[in-house]
Amino acid sequence: MLPHRQQVFSRAAVIPFYIIAALAFFLTTALCLFAANVFVGHFFQPKVLALTHLFVLGCGVMIIFGASNQLIPVISERKLYNERVLPVLVLGLLTVGTALLVYSFWNFLFTWYTFTGVACILTAILLHSLNLYSALKKAEERAMLSLIKTANVWLIFTAIIGSMLLINFRFPFLSVNHLQYLKVHANIGMIGWFLQLIVGVSSKLIPMFLLCEEPKEKQVFRIYYGINIGLVLFMINQIFFHSQIMNVLAVLIVITAIFFYGRYVYSSYVHSIRKQLDNGMKQTRLSFALLVLPCVLLLPLFVVGDMPPNFSLAYGFSFFGGFVGTIIMAQTFKTLPFIVWMQSVNENELPAKMPKDFFNEKLVRVQMLLYIAGLLPFVAGIVLKYAGLCYAGAALMAVATSIYFIHVLLIVRKKFANV
Amino acid sequence: MFEIGISDPFYEIKSKALIALYEVKDPELGVNIVDLGMVYNLEVSNASIILYMTLSTPSCPMGGLIISYAKIAIENALPGYEADIRLVWEPKWNYECISTEGRAALGL
Repeated sequence: MLPHRQQVFSRAAVIPFYIIAALAFFLTTALCLFAANVFVGHFFQPKVLALTHLFVLGCGVMIIFGASNQLIPVISERKLYNERVLPVLVLGLLTVGTALLVYSFWNFLFTWYTFTGVACILTAILLHSLNLYSALKKAEERAMLSLIKTANVWLIFTAIIGSMLLINFRFPFLSVNHLQYLKVHANIGMIGWFLQLIVGVSSKLIPMFLLCEEPKEKQVFRIYYGINIGLVLFMINQIFFHSQIMNVLAVLIVITAIFFYGRYVYSSYVHSIRKQLDNGMKQTRLSFALLVLPCVLLLPLFVVGDMPPNFSLAYGFSFFGGFVGTIIMAQTFKTLPFIVWMQSVNENELPAKMPKDFFNEKLVRVQMLLYIAGLLPFVAGIVLKYAGLCYAGAALMAVATSIYFIHVLLIVRKKFANV
Repeated sequence: MFEIGISDPFYEIKSKALIALYEVKDPELGVNIVDLGMVYNLEVSNASIILYMTLSTPSCPMGGLIISYAKIAIENALPGYEADIRLVWEPKWNYECISTEGRAALGL
């Protein structure tokens, strides 16, 4: 717990991460509008790779890094290794690295700036992990911290695989088919990093927000083992064995872990004091429901034993754009107003405004409705290979994320609270 | 919920402190800490007031600020007194601690 007002972080360590992430989210959807037709083809395309990395690194990883700088020391009751210089360095490296990498993918040119970008991203990830490790190593929350620590290991691992793939483009050295490694890289990023981290943080925050007794750690560990055993099995199979049965088994183990996670969230809600959810929590519930979508899109794997490219692409898009995108949108309004509020309140007098005064609830609802209205046709367009649906969906998502981006800027400028 | 007996020798001081604590709100819930049942006890000794209070969870991200504001509220209401805020975890805070007004404010 933060013992004193003085320990509130410097603005530079947290808030710029949110701003850049919101901008990257908007740019991703705006560029989807320009490149909607490529989503009806194979997933291994320059623009698809560029947009995926823009969203994953520029938005997902960026906002998680910023939020974890603020939240992990609070939850673990330990300090980061460095609270000022390292976060700013990580922010700069990740921003520059992402911009260079996305430009390289978009133009499918792999030159010195591609590898400079990769080096910047890898350095940023390692520095952030080092910074967090100091706060995580002696903390007591075993289950949650196991998930967060392991997620960070997977992030480093997937970044290394991604770097290897890029080097392989220029100087071929991998013996196994490039696409096999790409699947490993993507799934480690999705399941090992994003899903595991979100499960880890939410296993603590959801009971906290809902005011319910924390469910037993055993339940969280069951999810932890399911995710990691399934992922290791998938990875080994993709690289060495290429067995369809092992693939299906690995996916089933992960889906079972997701089912246990859904039960954990539901049980928290059933045992909560606070049954009336605010918009942030209602939208978080929606993002958990959207996790069903990528699971359903895995159906061909169980029916025909393989994933057609359009289903693979829809699976990835529904995971990132659906689950991760909506949880980012929802949780921004459960974290950023509090962070800005903590930064702006006067420590010598009682605050006249509360965090809820720092944003507009109606706007939160509108932007999510528009986003979902765009997301669903976009995914349908990928599955049905119909570009018209992708264009319409991308247009609505771009409007939604532009509102979201402006909303984030207004929160940071304290325009709603007027303090 | 914490109550002050009319026969308490420090009734007036404690009442002033308690009224001041109604101004301290949990930023997430938007309800004051008295109605949330987080105030467990108040003690007065010489020029200091000891507040025994709890939080909804030990790792509450807003805990530090709630404590700071509880201290400011008491010291503003009672000039010349120093507030000493002590966090306690027994009895554990739960739904039963919330007052009728608190439950109404939370929409329960």
